[in-house]
Amino acid sequence: MTWVNAVIQGVMLGGLYALFACGLSLMFGVMKVINLAHGDLAMVAAYIALGVVTITHVPAIWSFVLVVPIFAALGYVLQRTLLQASLNRGVITTLLVTFGLSVVIENALQQFLSANSRELNIGSLVSDSFSIGSQITIAYLDLIILVVAVAVLLGLQYFLSSSRSGRMIRAVADDREAAQLAGIDYRHVFGIATAIAFGTVALAGLAYGMYTQFDPTTGTTALLLYAFEAVVIGGLGSLWGTLAGGILLGVAQQVGAQYHAADQVLAGQLLFLIILVLRPQGITSRRELA
Amino acid sequence: MPDSVTAGQAGTGVTGVVAPATGVAGTGVSPALLELDAVCKSFGKVVVADNLSLAVGEAELVGIVGPNGAGKSSLFGLIAGDLAPSSGHIFFAGKGVTKADAAARCRLGIGRTFQVPKPFGAMTVFENVLVAVQQGGGLRGRASYAAAVEVLERTGLAADVNLPAERLGLLSRKRLEVARALATRPRLLLLDEVAGGLTDPEVAQLADIVRAISAEGIAIIWIEHVVHALTATVSRLLCLSGGLIIGDGEPETVLAMPAVREVFLGTEVTAELRAADPVTGPAPASAADREQA
Repeated sequence: MTWVNAVIQGVMLGGLYALFACGLSLMFGVMKVINLAHGDLAMVAAYIALGVVTITHVPAIWSFVLVVPIFAALGYVLQRTLLQASLNRGVITTLLVTFGLSVVIENALQQFLSANSRELNIGSLVSDSFSIGSQITIAYLDLIILVVAVAVLLGLQYFLSSSRSGRMIRAVADDREAAQLAGIDYRHVFGIATAIAFGTVALAGLAYGMYTQFDPTTGTTALLLYAFEAVVIGGLGSLWGTLAGGILLGVAQQVGAQYHAADQVLAGQLLFLIILVLRPQGITSRRELA
Repeated sequence: MPDSVTAGQAGTGVTGVVAPATGVAGTGVSPALLELDAVCKSFGKVVVADNLSLAVGEAELVGIVGPNGAGKSSLFGLIAGDLAPSSGHIFFAGKGVTKADAAARCRLGIGRTFQVPKPFGAMTVFENVLVAVQQGGGLRGRASYAAAVEVLERTGLAADVNLPAERLGLLSRKRLEVARALATRPRLLLLDEVAGGLTDPEVAQLADIVRAISAEGIAIIWIEHVVHALTATVSRLLCLSGGLIIGDGEPETVLAMPAVREVFLGTEVTAELRAADPVTGPAPASAADREQA
């Protein structure tokens, strides 16, 4: 039963990874932008939530109502200014710009908010749980995060496949030049895609801040790599793949931890390497977005 | 061909046909839908538009021929907004559009197809057209679906609507290019070698579609290597060479011009002329122009 429990915990952890990764997947799928500042942006969202909670005294769990729209707006503006300017200069420039952004964000957070660990206080919800049998314990927060992750990915998939704007985003992801001749301003579409990606990364940052402690470096040390691994395992540009990739990574880590606590990270990396060798296109080979 | 010959012939050609024979452009009777005023563009030393001026009237059907590298596709790029001219002005429906980007010009009413079809491969044929109706054509909801269906029927794609566009054959891809451009509800349609690489019956089918579009009052500029497909359809023919218009007028007249025949040396212009003969009708395309396309 401990193995079953490990898999269940892994699935729930995987939901968090998938939530982190879907913004990364979307930005790559639509714009071919590899956003190295993705993890740091999640931390910025968590710190903004801390500020929102301090000022307005809303419960931390509701902070997303403010933080997600703020972040989406920030994403649109950042895309139309800095990122678009760097895209015009080529792929490598964009990679360097997001790397620079990551360094700037991390150091600014350390400078102004100190390197101390913080957390988003959600009261007893952080430890509330229910049990199935004697060995399986499910924390409500973990379950909520998984449900949110699946809902976000389902919603995003539906939005892309069936809505007017979603169709526009897919057209741009497919062929930017042809999309222009269909009357689509691709820069606006890039802005929308980035806004969505930023909204989801804000959600992921908040979820992480409630789940455990964070500090200014958490974004690069703990989050960015897992998000990338989830995207690569799942297959670039596919949202379903990203969800599956996140969950596989989570399960591998939790099962690894059953052997030895130190094997948790190792098991995840091993899975990542095995997928890279055996199936470099990821577990979903079908093109769904790009 | 040596440059000097082209230049010399081009010079005489220009003086000969400076006023468009159809009269729409120069007469000032009806304002032109599209107007290029002294447009210049070059890539390094390759001149694709040399002080080019051109006017196309409402509902006019214009063909463009010219050797490879004459600047035909670049001209479309300049009109559609993919390329920015280094000097000169472009007007569409009375508005200056020189600074407008491709998406904005599309919404103003300039539709364009690509020489090599660029469908949105992962999307269905229907979605390809729908996105153009909704974004370029500005329609929403039920009206946009109806308009997409209508365009698909007119271009003969009704049977393939649910197929992913990447699975279409060449003829259907060419049709989808036309359909997508048409879906943006253009006032001016730019067709870039839609007949290239097709068999004669397929070319005839496409020409029928083009004539039907033209009959609705949409102005069309059609670039084609398969000259007989053009001459049988258009009322005005331009010949482009080295970024210059070296012939402009009735198709037979233009093809008979010495300057035009000169630039077509080696591409069997005599065969094409025979093919263009209105009495005998279009002759089967020679292997040579199939290859060219």
